[in-house]
Amino acid sequence: MLGFPKILHQLHLFEEEGVPYAADLDKARVVELSAVMTDILKLAETQTDDAIVETLSASYEEDDISEAFERFAELEREGLLFNRGEDLERSLATESKWRKLLVIIPGIDVDSFFDIETLSAGTNMALAHMITHLTKYADLHFASSRNRKITDGVYEVDIGIRDLVRLRSKIGETYYGILTLHQEREQWLFPLYRYPEFPPILVQNHAPRGHGGQAINSMLRHYAAMRDCDGFTAPSDYVRDFYADYVWDPSFFNTLPNGVDSTLFKPMDKAAAKREVAEGVGDDRIEVVPTIGYLSRVQSEKGASVYLKLAELNPHLIFLIAGPNMGRYASRKLPDNLVYVGFHPREKLPLIYNAFDVYCFMSMSGEETFGLTVLEAMACGIPPIVPNFDGVPSVVGDTGLIADAENFDQDIATFVSYPCPVDFSRKINLLLGNDEMYQELSQMARERAVLFTWDKTASRIVRIFEELHQKRKLANPNRLLNVFAPTQPSEDDEQQELKYRSIVLSMNAHYERCLMRDAVYPLRVEEGLVLSILKEHTTREAEAILAALIPDETQARTTLKRVQGLIDGTA
Amino acid sequence: MLSRTHYRLKQHHKFEQDDQKYVADLETGDVIQINDVEWEILSRYESQTHHQIVEELKEKYKLTVIFDGIQRLERLGKQGSLLRPAVEVIEQRDADQKPKLLVPFHFTREKTSLDYTMNLNRYQSLTHLAEFAELETLAFPDEEKEDVQDFDQVRVRNISSAKSDTLMSPWYAMDGYDGILLLSQFLTDDLSYYQIPNVPIVHCIEGDQRLQHVLLRTLLTVCAFQGSKDTLVVKASWMKAWLAELGVSVENVQVIPDGIDIVESIDDKALAKQHTAAIFDKSMFVEKPVVGLISGFEPNRGAAWISEFARANPHLAIFVYDAMLEKNYRHPPENVVIFSADDEETRAILPIFLQALDLVCFPAMPGTPLSVVLEAMAYGVSCLVMTKYEMPPEVAGAGVAVAAEWDNFGNFHIPMAKLSETISKWLQPSDARVQCEDFAKEVAQRYTRKNAAQALVQAFVAGGLVPTQQRTERTLFPPIFCHRYEPDKGTLRSSVYRLGTSRYDRLETTLAEVLAERHTPTEVESVFKHFRRDRPTLTDDTTYAGNGFPDSDVKTNPAGQEHQQKGETIYEA
Repeated sequence: MLGFPKILHQLHLFEEEGVPYAADLDKARVVELSAVMTDILKLAETQTDDAIVETLSASYEEDDISEAFERFAELEREGLLFNRGEDLERSLATESKWRKLLVIIPGIDVDSFFDIETLSAGTNMALAHMITHLTKYADLHFASSRNRKITDGVYEVDIGIRDLVRLRSKIGETYYGILTLHQEREQWLFPLYRYPEFPPILVQNHAPRGHGGQAINSMLRHYAAMRDCDGFTAPSDYVRDFYADYVWDPSFFNTLPNGVDSTLFKPMDKAAAKREVAEGVGDDRIEVVPTIGYLSRVQSEKGASVYLKLAELNPHLIFLIAGPNMGRYASRKLPDNLVYVGFHPREKLPLIYNAFDVYCFMSMSGEETFGLTVLEAMACGIPPIVPNFDGVPSVVGDTGLIADAENFDQDIATFVSYPCPVDFSRKINLLLGNDEMYQELSQMARERAVLFTWDKTASRIVRIFEELHQKRKLANPNRLLNVFAPTQPSEDDEQQELKYRSIVLSMNAHYERCLMRDAVYPLRVEEGLVLSILKEHTTREAEAILAALIPDETQARTTLKRVQGLIDGTA
Repeated sequence: MLSRTHYRLKQHHKFEQDDQKYVADLETGDVIQINDVEWEILSRYESQTHHQIVEELKEKYKLTVIFDGIQRLERLGKQGSLLRPAVEVIEQRDADQKPKLLVPFHFTREKTSLDYTMNLNRYQSLTHLAEFAELETLAFPDEEKEDVQDFDQVRVRNISSAKSDTLMSPWYAMDGYDGILLLSQFLTDDLSYYQIPNVPIVHCIEGDQRLQHVLLRTLLTVCAFQGSKDTLVVKASWMKAWLAELGVSVENVQVIPDGIDIVESIDDKALAKQHTAAIFDKSMFVEKPVVGLISGFEPNRGAAWISEFARANPHLAIFVYDAMLEKNYRHPPENVVIFSADDEETRAILPIFLQALDLVCFPAMPGTPLSVVLEAMAYGVSCLVMTKYEMPPEVAGAGVAVAAEWDNFGNFHIPMAKLSETISKWLQPSDARVQCEDFAKEVAQRYTRKNAAQALVQAFVAGGLVPTQQRTERTLFPPIFCHRYEPDKGTLRSSVYRLGTSRYDRLETTLAEVLAERHTPTEVESVFKHFRRDRPTLTDDTTYAGNGFPDSDVKTNPAGQEHQQKGETIYEA
């Protein structure tokens, strides 16, 4: 049995050629019904299963009724007709006047964003912080398969990935923006880019490369397909600059730095912190010997192997490792001065950081763009030493030391860098041997870290959406008409090279004149080609085509700009 | 160009709920939110043409809003919702019914730029065409002004439109015409008619001497705009040969020479010569053999060539028909007179001169009025063609040809000695000449105005029978043109990503496909030739649809790799 009474979706019942149908407006789908199903639906919100059967048994066979129930059960499994989860006042809750953002991150449980302890990957953690702070600026609706209020201003809504395109008008009316995360192989986002109805889509992009170029290629596809009013976030200017080598218009990458909770991560009594850690692992060397810290998964791409080398190079120092476990290093003979201090819950992390004298961040991974732990260490007043690689130095600024690193122009098995252990070692000793410099950096690190707040990150997201809305308002239809033609031979040898041309008509597709005077304006084929391509494709797609056809990139870029200008100017 | 696909509505249901309008596609199960104008368009879509829909709704909505609504709905159709592409049905035309042709009258503004003969020919052509077709033109009178009256054979359709109505005539041409006859040489407004789907256009381009400098450009432009139903009409065979020589596809180019009026022949060459001598006050017309030169030369080069020709043939009396030089060549050589018909009076005496000719010479090049040559032939004058191509079929059997050279810039060259020798020889009485003269008379009689008008109508009928090209249905996932990073080379190049199959595809193939949705095959060809790339040949759909391997498989699956390499072209090559 189905468990009536049920809350129905917003339905419109109608008949067409004698067949009853229900249009489910919450799912933008039409369902064919039978007479008995129609009657059941009329009772569905008020009566129980038994009551419905009893009411209808006078007019229908019992078999028909139970068949209808079976059909309803099927439809319910598909998410149709009946509200799933709580009744959120017609599922796309409208109780608040706040701007609403639709957050679509398939494959991640919504609850985990509000229980940071369950997250370990830096990316998801950053996202969780961001989302929590975002609730100060907008209501968040997570696309899911049920309706549920999670907390004030945060809802799960029953909008499946497959519903998105059909629900575009409703989504466009309801939401100020769509926030999502770039995931490498996902395909669901592409169809959305094709519809102007959707609000701006902001794609969080964390990893600029890796996976043998696949991350780049996936990003390049999104870049090409997305609308003018969509964009990426990039965790640092570095990432934005990185993409500038791959695309013509890096303005699609909006820098969105991570933040740090500087009330949780703050300088503490160092001696006490060291004592507590020393007691925890039963190694009192920690209290007397200077300590170096590593807080990450213990994996080679995070620089664990290099860290081991550092320990070997510096027997006079203690090297602490905090991470979920020692991974493949557990079975190795480790240097005597390397101490594993275990995996700690989030609220304990400030203590761990404070037990470090120097924080070493050694990630070599192609997926590293920011280095959240560096910021956390800085917030605790621990001067960091980081490799000169990707976005990390920009986080540190002049509040830590930058060690040499060999950077590779392409990633090799996700490795894109090799931090130089000798230079790291030199910098560690430099820092520990100069107390004045140490104190100064420690203070500056804290001062710099407090500038990175999650609140800023969240408000920046809202600001990016506002900018995207502006772009959306300026989006122009491309109504110019052009044809391609052979050109008239000329006596000029150079002109002879140009055997073809394009002609733009001063009339647009609606037979309205939009250029002055003559009906025909000759253009170069390149320009005509862009005009044609921009009818159904984006400027970034035209970019890819021009890049293939015109050897001189400057010329190609100018062509694109010129045509875009013409379209903008005539629309 | 407009999308030429037609759609039919699928089974659907419209409804309103909470002040929102919706339409349910009962076949796909989609419910689509629509706005007011889309609602109204849908109510009319099945039974009315676009034109009717717009006319009905334009009081209530802005035109662009209506057009955008139609466009949005048809875009849905393209994606498989609500509308289904319809297979075009070619209507069987009733044989007795006259086709209704639209003749936009922009060309009347060109009157002063063209020569008298050409304007006369156009007028005559319309008059004779009216026998076989119903002719109509559009007028947009101001509110204050009265409607424009019909003139001669052409009915005027007055379109009353509000001042704010920016719609141009092509829109009205969409409604109810079997064809559009374009006569304008300047293309100022005419090209916009090519946007109209499914109406054959016959565009007549003259070889006018005064417009020679832009003629080629005009021809090439018209060729570019043509669809498969359209015909470009040129007035002499060498014009078509010229286009073919330039590599233009001449499939839709037809040669229909202007017809001629035959006046009563005085049938007395000697008398005609006397008249001519008297009119020009030049006794050479009775003393020397009279050679006519129907000139289409570029004026400066023509003047030089005519003097050279006159000096090389002092024994000839040379009658030059040249619309430009008549006014501008002040002191031609002694044995030359230059004439052109500039008004009714001068036109009326032309036959006298033509009948006085012993031979009519002409360069078969743009600018030469074939109708004047044909008229001379109709009086039994044989001809000498200076031609770059073969003997023009219009005059074949009616004279001799001497090979000449000319280029696109007005340069003309012919071995003068050979020309003079051929003329002298031809002027000797011979059986061959008599045969040619008889044949000339006979063949020229075929070029009546009536026949020309019928040929034009035939071009419309033939155009109407050509089915509009059915574009291949585009996939639900349009291709994404994007950069592609090649980690093995560390380089970036352009490619195409297909969502449905999750694989990269050949850029050229996809580009050709995308362009073909909006452009004719000739245009697409032009684009590829411009970039000096071969247009990919599409043997059948399977060559590029392929059996796509997902992106990740391609990396690990050797078969996939091979497949991928086959599918892509490396541009560095």
